[in-house]
Amino acid sequence: MTTQITDADIAAAKERVPYAFRAPREVILRRRIVYGFMIALFIWCIFDFEFIRVVLFDYDRRTDTWSFEPWQTFYEYNRRTKEWSFNPWLPVERLYAGIYKAQAFFEWPRIDFSWEEWGMIAKGLGETLSMAFLGTVLGAALAFPLGWMGAKNILPLSFIRVPTRRGFDFIRAFETLILAMIFIRAFGLGPLAGILAITVSEIGTFAKLFAEAIENTSEKPVDGVKASGGSALQRIRYAVMPQVNPVILSIILYNFESNTRSGTILGIVGAGGIGFMLSDRIRAYRWDEVWTIIILIIAMVYIIDWLSGRVRQRIIGSWDGAR
Amino acid sequence: MEHASLRLENLTRVFGQTTAVDRVSLDIAPGQFVGVIGRSGAGKSTLLRLINRLIDPTDGKVTFGDTDVTTLKGRALREWRRDCAMIFQQFNLVERLDVLTNVLVGRLAGRGFLSSMAMQFSDEERTMAIQALDRLDLVPQALQRAGTLSGGQQQRVAIARALVQNPRIMLADEPIASLDPGNATRVMEALRTINKEDGLTVLVNLHTLDTAREYCDRIVAMRAGRVMFDGTAVQLTDDVVRDIYGSEGLEEFNEAVTSTAARVRETA
Ligand SMILES: Nc1ncnc2c1ncn2[C@@H]1O[C@H](COP(=O)(O)OP(=O)(O)OP(=O)(O)O)[C@@H](O)[C@H]1O
Ligand SMILES: [Mg+2]
Repeated sequence: MTTQITDADIAAAKERVPYAFRAPREVILRRRIVYGFMIALFIWCIFDFEFIRVVLFDYDRRTDTWSFEPWQTFYEYNRRTKEWSFNPWLPVERLYAGIYKAQAFFEWPRIDFSWEEWGMIAKGLGETLSMAFLGTVLGAALAFPLGWMGAKNILPLSFIRVPTRRGFDFIRAFETLILAMIFIRAFGLGPLAGILAITVSEIGTFAKLFAEAIENTSEKPVDGVKASGGSALQRIRYAVMPQVNPVILSIILYNFESNTRSGTILGIVGAGGIGFMLSDRIRAYRWDEVWTIIILIIAMVYIIDWLSGRVRQRIIGSWDGAR
Repeated sequence: MEHASLRLENLTRVFGQTTAVDRVSLDIAPGQFVGVIGRSGAGKSTLLRLINRLIDPTDGKVTFGDTDVTTLKGRALREWRRDCAMIFQQFNLVERLDVLTNVLVGRLAGRGFLSSMAMQFSDEERTMAIQALDRLDLVPQALQRAGTLSGGQQQRVAIARALVQNPRIMLADEPIASLDPGNATRVMEALRTINKEDGLTVLVNLHTLDTAREYCDRIVAMRAGRVMFDGTAVQLTDDVVRDIYGSEGLEEFNEAVTSTAARVRETA
């Protein structure tokens, strides 16, 4: 097969399937403009937020004039000695100073706590964990029926389904932290506000994810159950739920992990748990104790991640039946 | 009820511009093994779905004995679906459930709400399911997840599910189209056994002439939604097929089947 491809052949093929060939000029141009804009934005951010400091113009207050002095990027003025000195690190000085200061906050974690103090820390960790657990479980339980209402293949009536879906989006627009601050006002400081904040924000997230998981199930088993005489609810129970349950469980576990992490933050604004102790120690400049708590939080999150990863794997590989 | 015959009268179904099934009238006596053949898009699947009421007709009606199937609703409709079991080309099993539960799905029509939501089945029903699986040599796989079975095994599970429905009629929509010749033969043999032993009416869509000739008492050929031929396998000569589908149609039919047909003769 070594037939010669003529220009006429190419033209004909282009005519038939234009998008199989190089994109048209205006598409390429549009693409370049978008990429160019993204790169420019990135560079502008780097300089504007002083990751790298560049001086181009200098302002003279006495004469009220700007002068072009780019060399100031690398030369700094010392007020006492009234001399200019060369410093090649000047553009990244601020970043460097920050890192230097941050590492100065590191102190060796304190471990010589009394049993009572260890007990307090353990209680804080346990509280954060139970807040995440309870919030996730309550959120999932409330989102479960809503998820079915938001799924197209379960509820084809769009005048109910669409407002339900928009409702999920509305709830999700509230960040958990903002909800926590509202609930602290309403229910007072402590874990109750934190649990409610997690619950409410998870309702939106879960309901949306559940609805999508339900919509992604295969229609074939549903037809199979229907053809055997199954009612609408039996079709859900026997054909949709076996497909969707492992996905839902794995979503719940995943969000439990992430709520353990965000539960720490909720403590900082006063919604109970280990975060409360952490912010307290930061305010008191007890950096050694701060580091103990941070390391313990990391360990806790790590263990939860690992555990739920294992549980998820087992769920995905399993199945249920009439037993 | 036991010896009622299935009648289609002017059955029509329109999808937008296409008339998938066009004024089909058939009278199917109890215990017949009927093959429906026709090219892709001829309306074979639509015809079976109309009989089982997975879709509703635009016009015409289906009757079984004295019952008008086309007007059934609610519980009566679910019971009709149970009485005329259906198996699909893609098996349509619930892959994450075990084989036994998939077979027990065939018992759902007679079950109450609470017990079926809890996936509870009586010992009698479980025994029925095991016996059905035994007829199809699938007892060892009973507690295996349906999705882990081979295509041929899955189709036999679907037949077992249909059997526990205690149906009067068995509809099969291209049951062997996605199977290799060996498995295709086993599935077709299973349908034949059910037809002979239980006296069930079998209505099966096939896209291969040789398989239809091998198994069916009666062959119905469709084209563009209409019945073009209705008679015995002997009457459906190559000349008749050429008349209906043109010579390229004959080629198309014979080509696809040769391997299946060869296996069928070997085992028969
Ligand atoms: N749900 C539907 N919506 C719209 N058109 C449909 C639908 N189902 C079937 N059709 C159309 O009806 C016609 C007959 O389809 P049908 O599936 O019954 O054919 P078939 O004989 O089973 O073909 P195949 O051998 O490919 O399975 C086709 O033109 C198809 O496009
Ligand atoms: Mg079909």
